[in-house]
Amino acid sequence: MDKKTVTTISYLSRLKIDPEKEEKITNDLENIIKFVDQLNDAETSDIEPLTNPLEKTAKTRTDQVTAKNLKKELLEIGPSSNEDYFLVPRVVE
Amino acid sequence: MTVKYKTIKEIKKMISQKEISHKEIIQDVYKLVKENSNLNAFISLNEEKSLKKAENFDNNPSDCSLAGIPIAQKDLFCTKGLRTTCGSKILDNFIPPYTATVIENLENAGCISIGKTNMDEFAMGSSNETSHFGNVHNPWGDNLVPGGSSGGSASAIAAGIVPAASGTDTGGSIRQPASLCGITGIKPTYGRVSRWGMIAFASSLDQAGPMARTAEDCALLLNEMCSHDIKDTTSLDNEIPNFEDNLNNSLKGKKIGVVKDLDLSSLDKDVIEVYENSLKEFVSMGAELVDVSLPNLALSVPTYYVVAPAECSSNLSRFDGVKFGRRSKNPKSLEELYVQTRSEGFGDEVKRRILIGSYVLSAGYYDAYYKKAQQVRRLIKQDFDEAFLSVNVIMTPTTRGPAFDIGSKGSDPIQMYLEDLFTISANLAGLPAMSLPNGNIDNKPIGLQIIGNFLDESSILNFGHMYQTKTNWHMFSPEGVIQ
Repeated sequence: MDKKTVTTISYLSRLKIDPEKEEKITNDLENIIKFVDQLNDAETSDIEPLTNPLEKTAKTRTDQVTAKNLKKELLEIGPSSNEDYFLVPRVVE
Repeated sequence: MTVKYKTIKEIKKMISQKEISHKEIIQDVYKLVKENSNLNAFISLNEEKSLKKAENFDNNPSDCSLAGIPIAQKDLFCTKGLRTTCGSKILDNFIPPYTATVIENLENAGCISIGKTNMDEFAMGSSNETSHFGNVHNPWGDNLVPGGSSGGSASAIAAGIVPAASGTDTGGSIRQPASLCGITGIKPTYGRVSRWGMIAFASSLDQAGPMARTAEDCALLLNEMCSHDIKDTTSLDNEIPNFEDNLNNSLKGKKIGVVKDLDLSSLDKDVIEVYENSLKEFVSMGAELVDVSLPNLALSVPTYYVVAPAECSSNLSRFDGVKFGRRSKNPKSLEELYVQTRSEGFGDEVKRRILIGSYVLSAGYYDAYYKKAQQVRRLIKQDFDEAFLSVNVIMTPTTRGPAFDIGSKGSDPIQMYLEDLFTISANLAGLPAMSLPNGNIDNKPIGLQIIGNFLDESSILNFGHMYQTKTNWHMFSPEGVIQ
């Protein structure tokens, strides 16, 4: 875990690391990765990954509209919106 | 007449014998909330609506199973019209337009949601020190943590403010604070309780459950919390038993798995003594102890700290300042809006876990970490499957010790992660597990963990209730034994 890796994963995470916290975060991440490296002790060559304890595929249901139209309520709780859309800084010039 | 330290069962009796009105109960609860404001257990209160609902019950008596029972809801469940923060600055202004299924179930059964409890930010923490709204204090000592992440819920019950609270448990977040605050709490089988309206942390591990003073009260709450919900694709449609039915079953001949691979050497001898005394109590009731092997148990914490951050980094990508919650001021571009909002809105522990998640899911490391952890997760589940062929339940201490001082774990995150050493494996395997008080060390409570087989909450409730008929650890409060 070096500075370059931390820069890459913070970009992927859309997080900005305060310069004064950078060293501590790099060390913490390094220690956590070292800690989880214990997993290499387990022999797993023929083991299927377990994604979810239920191991069921998602159930299907009849394609019926059951949800209420909450457009107005949802737009109202947005940080910035007009009557139809959430507003963000201009993306296309 | 007060409801302080009363159980649900006792409050139901007080109501039916007309010793107290519904309105008086709720007024008393808010008095207790105010008297205990130093605990910082609540983020938001719901006083006006709660009093109105209570008055309605006084005017129109209800035969709902939990009519008028005051309950505190963890601030991770969406509640329509009532602020829901998840302990985070990024949601400090979020008022959901809908209510979580599990909260709706409890309210339909008559529960009165009196407020939202403080918690570790996005349920990431084991001491309630990561909340944007400040530390929660444990009523058992001024400077003690209540555990986490459901620390506000546990603290409010331990102080006798409410008889019940909701919690969520991703790696121990119901059971660990239950142990540290001297109360009873259950994480049900994964899929028993709908996750719809629960703010997601790690979707394959998260499960809501009840916290209360007794196993019997947990059974009453669980009866109402469980449901099949088509809005949650992982919600189970298996039959839901009446969890009160088997509470008083005899334990004679029942088998308790004792994990022989469990390394207790790092624990204080007092903790081991409390644990062993509980096992003896069960033997005196006719249960048998059977050695079981869970050889991969030691790998559960490292497995969790790959799987949970991976799922968290994905789930928390929705907090971007566009559609709800806090947005940073004056961003110059959409990219800056995302980055500034998230960097200002999340605390250090949440950021750390998102970063770990992004790392273990990134192209070069996916197989080495994420896939590997999922393979070890299967080994851990297989160990439990094998063990439950020969036992009814498995018992361990819930925590490595009683409540610790605020700030005492220092700044090393791994020391905090190891707090959940005994609880995490049940989440990885999807199994139900309970913590209940089984002793006091230096006047601080500690808990016993009872893990059950898949969908077998009834057995752990049976063991828990029978234990509480023979012992009085659940009757201890910070002010002494409850009379």
